[in-house]
Order: sequence, then structure tokens, then C-alpha cells
Amino acid sequence: MRSRRSKANLSLILFVLPAFILYLLFLVIPMLKGSYFSFTNWNGLNKSYDFVGIKNFVEALRDDHDFRSAIWFTAKYVIFAVVFQNVVALLLAMLIESRKKGKGFFRTIFFMPNMLSIIISTFMWVFVFSKVIPALSEYAALKFLDLSWLGDPNVSFWTILIVSLWGGVGTLMLIYMAAIQGIPQHLKEAAIIDGAQPIHMLRYITLPLIVHALTICIFLTLNSSFKVYDLVYALTGGGPGRGTQVITMNILEEAYQGNNRYGYASAKAIILFLIILVITMIQVSIMKKREVEA
Amino acid sequence: MSKRIYSVLSWAVLLLLAVYFLFPIYMAIVNSFKTQSEVYRSVLGLPTSLHFDNYVEAFKKANMLRSGLNTIIVTVTGIVGIVVCSSLAGYKLSRTRSRLSNWIFMLFVASMLIPFQTIMVTLTKMARDLGLQGTPFGLGVVCAGLGVNMAIFLYHGFVKGIPRELDESASIDGSGEWKGFFLIIFPLLMPITFTIIVLNLLWLWNDFLLPVLLLNDYRNYTLVLTINMFFGKYSRDWSLILASLILSSIPIVLVFAFFQRWIIQGITDGAVKG
Repeated sequence: MRSRRSKANLSLILFVLPAFILYLLFLVIPMLKGSYFSFTNWNGLNKSYDFVGIKNFVEALRDDHDFRSAIWFTAKYVIFAVVFQNVVALLLAMLIESRKKGKGFFRTIFFMPNMLSIIISTFMWVFVFSKVIPALSEYAALKFLDLSWLGDPNVSFWTILIVSLWGGVGTLMLIYMAAIQGIPQHLKEAAIIDGAQPIHMLRYITLPLIVHALTICIFLTLNSSFKVYDLVYALTGGGPGRGTQVITMNILEEAYQGNNRYGYASAKAIILFLIILVITMIQVSIMKKREVEA
Repeated sequence: MSKRIYSVLSWAVLLLLAVYFLFPIYMAIVNSFKTQSEVYRSVLGLPTSLHFDNYVEAFKKANMLRSGLNTIIVTVTGIVGIVVCSSLAGYKLSRTRSRLSNWIFMLFVASMLIPFQTIMVTLTKMARDLGLQGTPFGLGVVCAGLGVNMAIFLYHGFVKGIPRELDESASIDGSGEWKGFFLIIFPLLMPITFTIIVLNLLWLWNDFLLPVLLLNDYRNYTLVLTINMFFGKYSRDWSLILASLILSSIPIVLVFAFFQRWIIQGITDGAVKG
């Protein structure tokens, strides 16, 4: 019996080994090393460094003005991005699912941006904001469009949201569409016979029965919004100044662009990890309770 | 009556949003066919004649052929690595009911929460130490390492739907476990393999930050990096830039056109199954 079990374990280990080696080398070891370096003042180049305890964490959270404003900017972005993306994706999914014709057509249009690299599609938007919209505001005398879309941090915040909505909605829409298709037909029919208006359908049938999709989609958007980088990099580069700098940019700046404070950057990265971990854990555990079986 | 209002309203909202989604793409395409001075003279109008030179110039100046090839190397290496390693591990972990297999599986799944920024500094160093920095192939191997956890999660869930009797027929006739896996089990995993290929294709083809950190020579740049560099160099020459943006997007749009159904299936499966 014993040898049979050890034989099973041996075969398990052999099957898992290739994946496990890759995983160990590129995920686990970097994670462990990063956690360790976050307690040091290593600059990434020298052989020697000192162990400084929690000094990096204290400095990041208490004294680092740029990091704090990056956290604040990211938090603001996360709140708006999560709400906008999910509301629009859900709206689109419901509108498209309630149609008889043109489902594939609209689905393709709204999903298309998800094909393109964020960098590449954001450069298209840079063109729109720097050339097309100024021309529009001049040509059609649409004075309200005459804003510094990429140059004023307060306006750029909304610019970033407009572009992130454009690129982020497609995947969520597909998930919501699949969830709506999963609602049993007899429930919808019964509600219609009872004279339910669209708004009642949404409140009492659709929303309660797609909570599982909401859980996933909000988790995905929280996760990706906290990690936002490419889009802000290509749109504003974090500027002007550090006006639109997000957490990930601040970490990169600390680690590479001149600062070379690897240890300190690692501490900031661990802080980002903990923020995402705690917030998504809370979100998932709250929403899991509200999921129902159809 | 209210039904009618609702239907008109839904049309209006869909069309309005469709305009928002198509607008930048339309503007990019239209202006990519104009000459530089025409872009500055009339951004909004249609081009007076189709000016294909931008595309030819962008293709040459941005070295699309080389960067396209680099992108293919990264993508293929990454996907092959992920599919081979994860199908083996996901299948076996799903079939073995022991404390060890539970532990390993939990380790893989838990790591899905690690943000890339938390590991990037030390990951770059690790890749350098292993001689994987600076080549598309090396980047592909690193990507495989970062992608296995999600793929294992998906395979693990999918294997539950395959009858256990097939495992026995795969190994019983003396062909051995491994041969049996590749000849009998792996073909049965095709639907989820396709999902995994599609999800990782979208990621690897379009990734930016990881290639930035690992590829330091422009000759090894992927398409996205090349375009990024190209943008920095020619940022005033909009017709040329727009042509390069469109040109570099064509391969993935073609993939989408061919595999649309599977891509949509893949994303919904990836989100809800497992």
C-alpha cells in the first residue's frame, strides 16, 4: 500500500515538475526575494547592502509625498474605472441581449479595442485628443471641447477614464452577456406575464441572478485598475509633472529611472500587493454571500 | 407605449456608444492615408487621394518584419511552454487526491494574486542571471513561467469533466503514463487548450512592461515596443505614426476575424469556469 502511494506521488511530481520549475523561477523566487529586499537599502547594483527593517515601509507611507499622491490618484481612478466600466458593460450586455438582430455586430464593435495592445490603441487616442478634438472644437464651435486634455492633471484624469472605458468594457460585456444568457427563460417569461417593466426585470430578475458575474467582473476591474500602467504611460506619461502618476509608475521610477532604489521600490510593490489583496478579498467575500442559484 | 420608448432609447444608446468606440479607429484609418500637410490642414475631412506611401514607409522605418518575427517567437515560445507544462500539471493535480497535490494546487492558485509590479524588479534580475534577458526566446520562457498558474487552474477544472475510465485505457496497455497522456488525454483537453491559447495570445502579443524590462536591444524589440519607440521618434509625423499603428494591429485583428467565436468562448470560459 505504502509503495503504491509513493509511486503515485512520484508520478505526480514528475507531471508537475516542468510547470513547477518555471513557476518557482519566475514567480516564487522573485516574490520571496522581493519581499526580502523590501527590508534592505539595496540599490540593485552594489554587492553590499544593509538590512534596514521596516524603514522603507515607514518612509513610503509617512514621508513620501509622491507615493502618497500616486496612491491617492490610483484610488480615485480605481473607484471611477470600476463603476464606469461595469455599469457600461452591463448596460451594453443587456441592450445587446434584448435585441433580436445585430447581436454579433454590436458585440464585435464593443469588443474590438480588447484585441489591440493598450499602447497602440492609446496612441490612437493621443491623436484624437491632440489633433482631432481641437479641430472639432474650432470647426463646430464646440467651445466646451477646448480643454487641455493631456496637459492638465484634473482634465487628464477624465481623459484616462474615457480611454480606459473604451479599452476595458469588451471583456466584461462578454462575461455579462454569458451570465444573462444563463438566466432561465421561464423566470423572464413569468415576470413579463406578471407585468414587470424593464426596470423591475433588472431589479428583481437580472441583477440578483447575475451576481456571480458581478463578483468576477468587479474583481477583474479592481485588479486591473490598481495595476494600471500602459494606458497612463502612453497617454500622459504620468505628467504633467507627476500630476497623473499611478502607483505602478512610481514603483518603476524608484527602481529604474535614475533612482535605483531597488529595496525601497520593492517595499512599495509589497504595499501595492497588500492593498490589492485586502480590497479584493473583502470584495469577493462580501459578494459571494449575495450569489444565488437560479 | 413604454415598450416603444424603451426600444428607441436602447437604439439611441447603442448607436451613441458605437460612435464612441469606432471614432478613434475611424480617425486613425482616415488620417493614415493623408499626407503630413493634409493632416495638419484638415484632420476631419476625407483624404483627397489614398496615400499608401505612409504604410510602406512605416513598414520599413519601423522594421515591422523583424519586430513581427520577434513577437511571433515570444508568443509561440510562451504558449507552447504554458500549454505543455500546464496540461501535464493540471491534469495530474486534478486526478490525484492527496494532501501533496492539494498543497501544490493551492500554491499555484494563490500566486495568481501577485501583481507583476511586486516581482518585476527581482524577476528582471533572475532572468539576467539565467541568461534569458535580451532575447525574444528568453522572454517567452519567462512569460511561460508567469502564465502557468492561470492555465493550470483552467486545466484542473476542465479535467473533472473527463471520465476517469479513460485514464486507465490511456495507461493500461503498456504504453506508459506519458505516452498515454499525449496520445489519449491531451487531445481530449483540446477545447480548454484552445481557450488557453487564445487568452495567452492576447496577453503575449500585446504585452508592454515585461518586454520593456527584458529586451534592451531595439533589434530584439517586439511590435509593441517598436511602435512605442517609433512614436517617440516621429511623434509629429502623424500620418506615418497612424499607418504604423494600423499596420501593427492587422495581424491580431485577422486572428480575431478567424477565431471570433473561440475568443468569445475563451474569455467567458476563462472567467467563469475552473
